[in-house]
Amino acid sequence: MDTNQLKLLRKLMEIEFCLVETNLYLDTHPSDERAIRLHNTLAKELKELEYEYTTNYGPLTHQNMSRCPWEYIKGPWPWEIEYCGCD
Amino acid sequence: MDNKDMYESKYKLAHAYVPFQVMGRVYSPDKALCKGTLFPELYMPYKYKKEKKKC
Repeated sequence: MDTNQLKLLRKLMEIEFCLVETNLYLDTHPSDERAIRLHNTLAKELKELEYEYTTNYGPLTHQNMSRCPWEYIKGPWPWEIEYCGCD
Repeated sequence: MDNKDMYESKYKLAHAYVPFQVMGRVYSPDKALCKGTLFPELYMPYKYKKEKKKC
């Protein structure tokens, strides 16, 4: 797995996590405009990252398009990937 | 705490509260994922001995 793919996956995880956080905050603060702006910025960035990932490396989820043969089963599986960088 | 403590202890009944959070500064996405929260005011880890994870 080349480093750029790993970096992209890491960035995707980071943005998706932040979207969970803004979602939870907005559930209880629906009219916090700053939080809405942050959420939308992150959502836009996620879409761009997903596009970049899928065009370069194939499907990220089972709902993404694939060339032939079916690329979704092309490894490694998420649990086989060594992420690090939190220390 | 067993029941005896509850009656004589200093805890006032029905005084639970959760202050309403107001979003201030937020962590950058990479830091937020590592810290487990987007909000510095919610980052309160239990202290533990960190063992180095090999890459």
